[in-house]
Amino acid sequence: MSLLSELFSDLFARQDNALARIDPRTKLIVALSILAAVIYSPTPVFPLAIVIACVAVTVAIGLPCRLIALRLIAPMGIAGVLLVLQSMFSGSTPLWKFPAFGFDLTFTREGWHTGCLMAARVVGGVSVMLLLSSVTPAHRVFLALRSLGISKTWVEIAMLMYRYTFVLLDLTADVTEAQRVRLGYSNLRRGISSAGVVGGVVVLRAIDQAVRTNEAMRVRGYKGEIPLGLLPPLAWRDAWIITGSAFVLSGILISLEVLFR
Amino acid sequence: MSDAPFALETDALSFAYPDGFVALSDIAFRVRSGEFVAMLASNGSGKTTLIKVLAGLLSAQKGSTRINGRELRDYPQTELYQLVGLVFQNPNDQLFGATVAEDVAFGPRNLGLPETEVRRRVAEALRAVGAEELGERAIHHLSFGQQKRVAIAGVLAMQPPILILDEPTAGLDPAGEHSMLHLLGTLNRKMGITIVLATHSVDTLPLFADRIYLLNQGRVLKEGSPEEVFRDQELIERASLRLPHVSRLLSELKRLDGVPINGLPLTLREAREQLLSLIPDELIVEVKAS
Amino acid sequence: MNIKKSIFIFLLMPLALPSTAQAMHISEGILPTQWALLWYAVAIPFVAWGLRDLRIKSAREPFFKPMVGLIGAAVFVISCMPIPVPMAGSCSHPCGTGMASILIGPAMTVLVSSIALLLQALFLSHGGLTTLGGNIVSMGIVGSLAGWSIFRLTRRLGLPAWGSAFLAGMLSDWATYAATSLELASALHGTGSMPKLLTAIGISFLPTQLPLGIFEGIVTAGVYCFIAARRPSLLECLGVERKRCACELCECEPKTGGVQ
Repeated sequence: MSLLSELFSDLFARQDNALARIDPRTKLIVALSILAAVIYSPTPVFPLAIVIACVAVTVAIGLPCRLIALRLIAPMGIAGVLLVLQSMFSGSTPLWKFPAFGFDLTFTREGWHTGCLMAARVVGGVSVMLLLSSVTPAHRVFLALRSLGISKTWVEIAMLMYRYTFVLLDLTADVTEAQRVRLGYSNLRRGISSAGVVGGVVVLRAIDQAVRTNEAMRVRGYKGEIPLGLLPPLAWRDAWIITGSAFVLSGILISLEVLFR
Repeated sequence: MSDAPFALETDALSFAYPDGFVALSDIAFRVRSGEFVAMLASNGSGKTTLIKVLAGLLSAQKGSTRINGRELRDYPQTELYQLVGLVFQNPNDQLFGATVAEDVAFGPRNLGLPETEVRRRVAEALRAVGAEELGERAIHHLSFGQQKRVAIAGVLAMQPPILILDEPTAGLDPAGEHSMLHLLGTLNRKMGITIVLATHSVDTLPLFADRIYLLNQGRVLKEGSPEEVFRDQELIERASLRLPHVSRLLSELKRLDGVPINGLPLTLREAREQLLSLIPDELIVEVKAS
Repeated sequence: MNIKKSIFIFLLMPLALPSTAQAMHISEGILPTQWALLWYAVAIPFVAWGLRDLRIKSAREPFFKPMVGLIGAAVFVISCMPIPVPMAGSCSHPCGTGMASILIGPAMTVLVSSIALLLQALFLSHGGLTTLGGNIVSMGIVGSLAGWSIFRLTRRLGLPAWGSAFLAGMLSDWATYAATSLELASALHGTGSMPKLLTAIGISFLPTQLPLGIFEGIVTAGVYCFIAARRPSLLECLGVERKRCACELCECEPKTGGVQ
């Protein structure tokens, strides 16, 4: 659970570096365009280049390698499964054949290619998000979403949810610990019923917290609207970054299109 | 101070929860403008309920509550919440913003102030609680003591002349407790904010207070200066409380060992003076300034 | 051959358990552009429905915003709770949407799960921005509508509350997976046949998903029973149990403060 808090916490996004200083709207727009390019790319080369670039930058700004590995391991597993599934279930030209459990398994050429492409897209997309969240605190992402036109109510609830997730994570850790030291997880049946109790405690505590938070909000003038902060106006630099990256990305995409299709 | 007008005033106040539990009965509670008043009570004595009634979060079934001489229910909500600031016991209840600055700005923004004024107030409030450097930090990265300070800043940003705090020192380490008391003293003496606080910690807080209300089971047992309230030991024990440790030591020296001690010293300094006056001079070794 | 292959996948999957369990949400980058856009287009009206619902309710009673935020956080935390999967000693986690839709209704559950999914995509590499639309559809919309309607229906049929909660949790979990499989198969079948791929994906999810759904059902029932035992008034207040509500929330919340 503490691991989850650690993953979830935007502690590292609050370090000062060149990327952290860029306006969150700019970062969000650029990240979205890179994502689009990753999905659109006809070849695995581009997504893989993005993976290398993003991971390198993330390491350079000081995110612990352990956290990076944690965040990439599951998507890589998915990428692997995708590769196997695609190679076996689509295409027709046999690439490899090998016997297993008394029958032949065929990997096809076309399947292998699409599989590689998809796997590269998965890892590429995930590493873009990894970099974005390593240089942008959560609330600034929300404010950026707000100024890019996402509903204010949505952003308000998102901020509340993000804030109180930490409080409830602490609570869950405490309750689970208390159960564990009293053998609440010593076998499967007990484990399940203990898990149900944790869930119940968390929901009840959340509602109590909501009542008290509502009171605390009311004495500070809350009447149904949570005011949000404003991001500073975009500077010329941001316009340059956005147009620059748009140019570079479309240049790369066009040349990939020409080279690989 | 004794002739200052009443900032908070309740008469024959009673409150019962929907399940029938009577939390407050017949409370007469008065605080003059600029005073520092402590509600001293054990757990479950109705402190928090009284606080919520005073802040307008609960409405009492019987009795009246006046703020600056005007009935509480006559105030429009916005005006009331600018008049009375409430700091909750658990800072998690109160800190719902993403960052410190965002959270402190919540109140001023709700008042519809222009953004420059909001910024000014946030900076001022954070400076008042000594948390200027926390501005851009996320709430979930703060220590408990820092959270408590930021919670107070969030209320101060509304600039209320009356500040009500529920257990401001609960859960703080000795250093945190000391700096919290120092902060409250500054707010009261330098900025002239009327302070009401609820506590059960007998050792420190009541000694700062001008007056103490001793509450038990929803009733006021006694009201007066710290000396007056603590003089009645039996009453203090009836309220599931005790004397401050120093006072207890001296009162037992007097009662069990016959040491002639005048009155009841409540603070360390008073106790020290009393004891020094009793110790013969020839026993005292001069401490050499080194 | 198809069946044999499926059997092989079935045998292979436990090895890849951690990743299939993580595959509950469609990972970033899997959906091609047109599918990503399509699912966004399907999801947005439902999220807007949730937002509208919340806006109307919170204009009447400001308490709704913190409450939805907090229940959202609670369900999010529960959904992050590792559950031991009996096979291979791996861990997975429940969706929580069944629970949430019982408590706050399907509209707000869609809203809350859209936020939870964004947070997971940003911070846990779980799901993704491009696949957010698809994930909202499978987890938020299908999961919560399934959970909510099953709970309501079975309650009306006279099932005890814990039974309904169990079914709602389990079936919403399975419905989520079915929807996810469908989304994956329709986007990925390429030149191959879609039913074939759907079968393969469906089968590969089975060994983790069948027990996980049952777990989710048990946990949902556990949470429900815990709340019903400790604070039955709350369920009435949230409109989960249709009785006359006399809980402290309804008594105090809208009316507290004397000054309104």
